[in-house]
Amino acid sequence: MSSRTVDAQDCAIVARGLTKRYGQLTVLDGVDLEIGHGEFVVLVGPSGSGKSTVLHLIAALEPADGGELIVAGQALHRHARGMSRFRRREIGIVFQLHNLIPRLTARENVEAAMFGTHRGHRERTDRATELLERLDLADRADERPTTMSGGERQRVAVARALANEPKVLLADEPTGSLDTASADIVLEIFAELIAGGTTILAVSHDARLNAHANRLVPIVAGKTEPAAP
Amino acid sequence: MTFFGLILRQIHARPLRALLTAGAVAIGVSAVVALGVLTASLKLTATQLLEVGRADFTVAQKHTDDLINSTISEDDMAAIGRVPGVSRAVGALISTDNYNADNPLLIEVGLKPSDQEPFGVDILAGKSYAADSTSDVMLGYVLAKNIGKQVGDNLVIDGNTYHVTGLYSTNVSFGNSTVMFPLSKLQGMNRLAGQVSLGFVQVDKGASIKDVAKRIDETFPQLTTIRSAADFGRADRNLTLISAANTGGSILAAMIAITGVLNTSLLSFFERIREFGIYRSIGWTRRRVIGLVIGEALVVSFAGAFIGILLGWVTINVLEQLRQLRGIFVPTYQSSIFIRSLAFGMIVAFFGALYPALRAAFVAPLKAVRRE
Ligand SMILES: Nc1ncnc2c1ncn2[C@@H]1O[C@H](COP(=O)(O)OP(=O)(O)O)[C@@H](O)[C@H]1O
Ligand SMILES: [Mg+2]
Repeated sequence: MSSRTVDAQDCAIVARGLTKRYGQLTVLDGVDLEIGHGEFVVLVGPSGSGKSTVLHLIAALEPADGGELIVAGQALHRHARGMSRFRRREIGIVFQLHNLIPRLTARENVEAAMFGTHRGHRERTDRATELLERLDLADRADERPTTMSGGERQRVAVARALANEPKVLLADEPTGSLDTASADIVLEIFAELIAGGTTILAVSHDARLNAHANRLVPIVAGKTEPAAP
Repeated sequence: MTFFGLILRQIHARPLRALLTAGAVAIGVSAVVALGVLTASLKLTATQLLEVGRADFTVAQKHTDDLINSTISEDDMAAIGRVPGVSRAVGALISTDNYNADNPLLIEVGLKPSDQEPFGVDILAGKSYAADSTSDVMLGYVLAKNIGKQVGDNLVIDGNTYHVTGLYSTNVSFGNSTVMFPLSKLQGMNRLAGQVSLGFVQVDKGASIKDVAKRIDETFPQLTTIRSAADFGRADRNLTLISAANTGGSILAAMIAITGVLNTSLLSFFERIREFGIYRSIGWTRRRVIGLVIGEALVVSFAGAFIGILLGWVTINVLEQLRQLRGIFVPTYQSSIFIRSLAFGMIVAFFGALYPALRAAFVAPLKAVRRE
C-alpha cells in the first residue's frame, strides 16, 4: 500500500512538504505523511536524518518552518494557542531519552501527565497504578527513575504517554532498551491500542516492533521517500 | 496525587533550597514583627500618659520634640481651669533621672498633694509628702518593689537623699513605676519654677469635650489639646519618627526577603529547566507551571513566616532586657501584627518567585527535552 492516497479527513496525521531548520542547518526538507486512523506506521532511517524532529513537530513541541501539518484534525503549521491542551488531550509521546522527572516516583511521573484533565486525584493515582501494573512495573511504582534500569524507565515513559488515552501515540524508539519479555508487553499493548482505533507513529530500528507495523516510512536527510516496492 | 501534594513533594525533594527560602522570609518577618511590636508598644506606653489623671483630654505645649519636654505655666493652668466647661485642670511636671544601672530611666512626676486624688493617685501605704517638703517622695508600688524600698526607707537620686513617705498606685499601670515629688521641689530641681509639663483637663458633666478642647486651643495659641492617640502622634515628633522608622525598616526587610526568595528560586529554576520543559511537553499549561513555582514558594514562605514570628518574639524578649529600654518598652502583642507578618511572608514569596515562575513557564518544551 505504498502509493495509496488518503483523504485528509480520514487521516490522523497529514504532513505536506514539512520543513524545519535550526539556524543554518536544514533538518527537514520536505516530509510528506498521510497516516490513517488506527494505522501503525514506523519511521526508519539513519541517525540524524530527522526522525525525532518529525515526532516533535507532530507533538506540537515546536512549530515547523514550512509546509502543512494536520494532526487529529488540528492544523499545527500555524503554531497557535491551545497547544498545551492539544498535547495533553490528543497525543501521547514516548521520548527517545524518556524525559522522566527525576525527583518524582514512577507513579507520580505518570500522574503528572494527568493534571488538567477530567480525572480527579484518586482517579489519577488509580490510572497510574493500573498502567504501571500493565507494564509489569507494579513493584517499581514508588521508585524514582534514578534507581531504575533503562528498560524500566522506558516502560514508565510508555505508561505516561498512555495516561490520557491519546488518539495519536508518538513513540521514539520505545523498545530500544527493552529485553524480549518487556518488548513483548509493549507490543501487546500497541496491538490493543491499534485494535481500539489509536494511531501509532513510531521511530524504530527494532525488527520485533517493525514486524507489527502496517508500513515503514523511510526518511533520509530530512526527506521522506516513497517506500521501495 | 493532588497538585498541592506535588508542591509538597517538590519542596521535600530539595530541603536545602526550602530552608534557604524559608530563612530569607523568616528574617524579614522577624524584623517586621520586632519593629511592629516595638513601635506599637512604645506608642502605647507613650499614650498611657493621656490616660493618666482620668482626664478627658491633655494639654501640652505646641511643637515639642517629646511631650516630656513640654512646658506650661501654672498661670496658664489656672486660666484653663476658668475656661467655661472645664470642671478641673491639674498640672503635672514630668522629668526623668538616672537611678542606677538597672534602672537608668526613672520617671519623676511633680504633683501637689491636693491634686493627687483628682489625678487618680491611690495611696496604698504610708501618707503623702507635704506640699512644701524638699526631702520627701512617694513611690509607685511597682517601682518600690523593683528597687526594694518601703515606706520609711531612704532613697538616693542624683546625689540627694529622700525619705519615702508612701506608696501609691495610679489608674494607669505605667504610673506605678514612677516616683512622685512635691511639685515645687521638682520644679526647683529642674529650674522650672512655675512650670508644669502637661495639663490634665476634665470637663463639666454634659459639656462637649470637643467644644471645650476647641475653646482652649483658641484661647491658648501656644498650647495644643490632645484627645486621642492620633493627636498624640501628631504632637510628639519622636513618635512620628518611630513610626517612620518602622515603615522604612519593614520596606527594607521586604526587599531583603524578596531578594532572598528570588535568589533561591532563580537558582532552583536553572537547576530545573529540564523539568519545566518536560511539564510543558506533556501538556501542562504555562499557568500550571507558574502555579507550581509560586505554590512552592508560598508554602515554604508560610513556614518561614511562622519561624520569623518566633524569631521576632525572641528579639522582642532580648530588647525588653535592654537597660536603655527598661521602663519604656513593655511589649504589647496585637493580633494584627501576626496577621500582617503572615501576609508579609506571602507577598514576599509571591514577588520573589514571580520572575522565576515566568521564566519557568516560558521554557520551550524541546529545549529541555533535547538535552542529555
Ligand atoms: N534543537 C536543535 N538544534 C540544533 N540542531 C538540532 C536540534 N535538534 C536536532 N538537531 C539536529 O537535527 C538533526 C536531526 O535530528 P533528529 O531529528 O534527532 O534525528 P534522528 O532522530 O533521525 O536521529 C541532527 O543533525 C541534530 O543534530
Ligand atoms: Mg532520534
